[in-house]
Parts: sequence; structure tokens; C-alpha cells
Amino acid sequence: MAELFEIDFNLEYPYTRTTGPIIGPFLTGLRDGRMLATRVGARVICPPVEYDPDTGATVGAENLVEVGPAGEVTGWTWVAQPTSKHPFEHPFAFAQIKLDGADTTMLHAVDAGSEDSMSTGMRVVVRFRGDRQGTINDVYFVPGDEAPAAPEVDDDAEPVRITEHLIGVRIREPLLPHRRRFVEGLRQGRIIGQRSPVDGKVHVPSRGYDATNRVPMTPDDDVEVADVGTVTSFTEIVPVQYHGQTETEPYIRCSVLLDGADSTVGGIDIRDIKVEDFRVGMRLQMVWREDDRIGEFDNRGYGLNEEVYERWEPTGEPDVDPELLKEHNF
Amino acid sequence: MPQSQRHNTQRQNTQRHNTQRHNNDIAIVGFAQTHAHVRYDGPEVVLIMECVNALLADAGIERHDVDFTIAGSCDYLSGMPFAFVSNVDGMGAWPPVYESHVEMDGAWALFEAWLRLQMGDIDIAMVVGSGKSSPCNSREVFHLQADPYVVAPLGIDPDAMAGIAARSLIESHKATETEIAEVVARSYASAASNPHAQIRTTATVEELLAAPYDMAPLRAHDVSPKADGAAALLIARRDRATEITDKPVWISGLDHRIESHHAGLRDLTDSASTRLAAAGSGVGDGAVDVAELHVTHAHEEIILRNALNLADSTSVNPSGGPLAGDPVMATGLVRVIEVARRIAAGEAGRGVAHASSGAALQQNLLCVLEGGT
Repeated sequence: MAELFEIDFNLEYPYTRTTGPIIGPFLTGLRDGRMLATRVGARVICPPVEYDPDTGATVGAENLVEVGPAGEVTGWTWVAQPTSKHPFEHPFAFAQIKLDGADTTMLHAVDAGSEDSMSTGMRVVVRFRGDRQGTINDVYFVPGDEAPAAPEVDDDAEPVRITEHLIGVRIREPLLPHRRRFVEGLRQGRIIGQRSPVDGKVHVPSRGYDATNRVPMTPDDDVEVADVGTVTSFTEIVPVQYHGQTETEPYIRCSVLLDGADSTVGGIDIRDIKVEDFRVGMRLQMVWREDDRIGEFDNRGYGLNEEVYERWEPTGEPDVDPELLKEHNF
Repeated sequence: MPQSQRHNTQRQNTQRHNTQRHNNDIAIVGFAQTHAHVRYDGPEVVLIMECVNALLADAGIERHDVDFTIAGSCDYLSGMPFAFVSNVDGMGAWPPVYESHVEMDGAWALFEAWLRLQMGDIDIAMVVGSGKSSPCNSREVFHLQADPYVVAPLGIDPDAMAGIAARSLIESHKATETEIAEVVARSYASAASNPHAQIRTTATVEELLAAPYDMAPLRAHDVSPKADGAAALLIARRDRATEITDKPVWISGLDHRIESHHAGLRDLTDSASTRLAAAGSGVGDGAVDVAELHVTHAHEEIILRNALNLADSTSVNPSGGPLAGDPVMATGLVRVIEVARRIAAGEAGRGVAHASSGAALQQNLLCVLEGGT
């Protein structure tokens, strides 16, 4: 069961950026087989810049000049163990490369085979990848001087105006100790909260501390609460589509104050009660899932998710007066 | 990711010993830090809470005495969007408080707090830096500080940039591999007397040089060991400072500068921004007894010593520095605390704390501290 308590996921964000008057032509050049720089005063700067680094003055597209395709390594390091973000899965070099015709260096990867092939002052030359998207990763470098064959170019392709970058980080960690005890309780059909040692209020699910009184809580503070409670607030969510969205139909998201608790459980989703029949003050009973999927929790949410309950059913009891719930809006 | 990009050159009128201080002078009046945990199993909030509770107890003030709080942290490290909002729970948010945040090391939060107190309408600020980086490989986060079009998508992270800078330093005869190993050996030896350090071993230069390369010419031990941790301090204007403590540590200068994100326009073997910040904060206006430097790659200590023009008599990273424990996002603020601790204890009269951000020392902050009443 230990694996249930190890969290492993990728947090990703897709970025799309407009490229502007200088980076756009530069990335278009990489896609179409040319290396571009900007002439700024007496210097040729690559990668090109939109402004004069000394004065901040705008540098227009008329200052774009072609450089390379070969150049000289002025600094480098050998990446023996690439990360998932690097352009190669095998060992390679990151280098500062002064392309022929440029006065400054650009950072890029050299696929050199072995560290022994690398040295400061060596010549390297660009290689164009087969699948080019208008990003800096459309190219890489190899030792040598021989110009690459002209890549196949789609003459009708639009210039690059947008560049995409999917960023992400892999997160691996154990469930926090208080979350683990909470999940272990759920697996036994019990909802575990924590009673503040300072003011006696019961937090469920607990965050492992009492924020109001600024005190950490321990296993000694654990208490069990009921699986029945009162709706304190709700909204109807109509899903909009975004990267990672899985919802398609409208549903109710509500907060419930479980009997025996002083804090509400947020983020409870109701899919089988009509919104016009739903009320603050309504009494609800949690219907537990029967399978053993309980346990797919991470350290990020604070609620009871749908891995735990099948649905929530009205108990038929009279509503609680909403006036009495004012301290529990969320 | 968002970064503070101020170019302030503010510098208080440098006050020297035996001169009358006025109420615009700002002092550190309390500090606390957690251990540099290899992995802290509790919530980051509790890490902060324990640190803040220790800080307030140490200073003998209540939470409601603090007029302004500010924290520095990075949500990506724990993979938790808006982690910085929960972190406010650790500092205490009830009754509602006046607070701010920077997506930077806590040392930059200190910079904002120091500016804020100079407005003169409030007296006490609390500054926190915290990070829980153990859930991720921080190299997969911090390459995102680079230019998002032509650098970040390559994944060139701070360790790779440091490898390039270290080779340039060696090949330009400004340092040797032996000198870089000496930085590590001395840091490990110094850490033996630091209860918060993560590294608990010593190593000889010969042993270090025998280790394999990783990001050649760097070796694994040349890169700071990432840790989970928090640090916090209190600053106050003179009148309140002298009420709270009889050992205030005065901030006599604070400045930070940024170099181009275009590495091809930088000299990676020097630190132009550190030289500017040193002039702006007045590092050279007096003797520097102690310097705590944000060295996350061993060769950077050599670059920084030169840029700061430190004398041989200056004690550098007596805590062991980040090479002996790097609680990411708190590490720069810890440098301030380590200098302040020594001044408050009477072990040093004047010192400088350094914090860095970005690849290859792209951004550098200097805080000059001194004792006296």
C-alpha cells in the first residue's frame, strides 16, 4: 500500500508567446535554414536583440544580418547527465558559440559525442533538425566547419509570429503526515480532522496546523467527525475548455460543514441534484465509494474528492437556518 | 517567472560608529532559521510557522506588533500554484495583516521591507524566505529564469551556466581547479560549527579533486546541496529597534543590480553587477570583518571575492555557506542572518551579506551591516 502514499505527477503550463519584429525573423530563419543577428552600432549581436544593450534604443528589422553557419566555441561545459529539459538524452556540451560574422556569443548545445572532442577555440557548425517548429531547438551544433545541406523549406509557410513552450516540472514526494493519517482514515470509512490545542476548533480536512493561532498540530490532535453535514455555500460551474480540462457538463460545487467540525469541506461536486433544488442549509449525507480507489490524494487539495464519495444525498431533515452558518461561508 | 527588476540606488547616509543615529536608521532586531533539511516531511507552512514563532519569541514581541510582513519563495519548487498564499498562514494572517511577496529569495523581500520602512509611517517589518525544493529537481525549474525565447527552451540551467563560467575562469587563469576545491574544503570545515548546516562531513582538497566531473569542470560537490528550509528576521526603525534590543544590527547600505539576460553580453569571469552594488551599498567604506556570500557553485566565491575587493583578513562564509546547505529561496536571507548573528554577538563589527539570483551570478544584492548603538 506504500505506493498510495507516494505522489508523482507533472505540473505543466503551455506558453505561447508572440515573437515581435526581431525574434520572429530569427526563429523564422532557424526554421528556414538561416542564422540571423542584429547589427547594433559597431557590433553584430547574436541571438539578435530588439534594443541597443548600451542605450536602450530600438533596433529595427533593417539591421538583421546573416551570420554563421559555423563559428568558434569560446566557453563550454560537458553535460554528463542530461535533465529532461535538455535537447539531448545522451551526454553533450552546452557552449558559448561565436558565429562567423558575429561579435557576441550565443548559448547552444553541441552534439560532440564525447568530452574529448570539445575544446575552447574549436570550430562548430549548425545542423538543422528535420522537424522544425520555429523554436531555438530547431537547430543544434556539431564539431566541424562544413556547412550543412540546405534544409527542405516550405516556401509558402507564414513567418513565425508565435512560439510555443510547454514548461513542466516533475513533482515526487510523500503524502504529508497529516494527509496520510486522513487518507488512512478514509480507507477505514472514517473522516479524521484535527482539534486545535489552542481554541478547540475542529479543522477537517486539516492542513496540519491551526492558521488562526499559528500553531502546528500533531497526531494527538486528531479527532473523528461525521459523514453527514450542512451545505454552507455553493455555485454552479459551467466548464470552460483549457489545457488539461476534463469537465464538459455543468455541475454544482459546494462547501459542507460536517457535524462535529468547525471548518467546512470545500470543493464537493454534486452532479445529481438540480441546481434549483439546491440550498444553503440543506442537510447532506455522503455516500461512500465501495471500491478501494480511496487513496489517490495529493498534498495540494484540502477537500474530499470524488475518489472518496459516490454522491451526496439529501437526508430529508429540515434545513439549518442559514443565519447560523454565517461563520462558515467557505 | 516574475522577478523584481528594480534599479534603486538608494543608500542611507552612511552612519559610522560614534555618530548620532536618527529614526530613519533601520536595524535588524531579531532573526531565526530552520535547519537545511535534506527533506522536510511536513508542510512548508509549518516550516515557516516554527521559524516565525521562534523569531517573535526571540525578539520578545507579539505578532500584532509587526506592521508589515513580506516573504520570498518560489511556487514551482513544491509544484503548488499559489503556495505563497498558504505560506502567509505560517507568518500569521489573523487578524488580517498588511503583507507582500516576491518570487525571489528572501533577501529581496528584505530589500522591499527596508524600502517600505523608509517611508516613515510604520516601524517594524518581518521578512521571511522559505522553500521546499525536495519534491522537484530545481534545475528543471530555474532554467526558466533565462530568456524565454532563445535560451530557456534549451534547458540551460544554472548548473550548466556555472560549468561554462567555471571553465572560462580557469582558462583565463583567474582560478585553478585546486583553488575551487579549496573553497569547498574550507566551507565544509566551517560548517562543522553551524548547527543548521546540511553537510556534516569534511573533505581534503585531494579527495575533492579525485571526484568525477559533473558539468565539467565542476564536480557534484562544487554545486550547493539543495535543502528545505526557512529563515526570518525582523527589522525596525531606530526608536523601536532600540526598545526591542540592546544589540541592534544596523543596515548601513543595501543595493542590488542586474546584468543582461543575454549571456553573450556578459563577462562570466567577473561580476559587474556585484561591483556596482558594492559601490552603491558602501562595502568599501570601512573594514569588512565578515562576508557571507551566496555561493551556489564553488568558483563563484573566487569571482565574488575579487568583485568585492575583500581583504585577506575578511572571514568568508564562516557558517559554511550555501555549499554546506542551500535552503533554496531562503539561502540569501540566511547570509544576512549569519552576518547579523556575528555582529550581535560582538564577534564582528562590520560585515557584508550577499545574495544572488539567476544563472551565473546574473543578479546580486549586497547588504552592509554594522553594530553599535
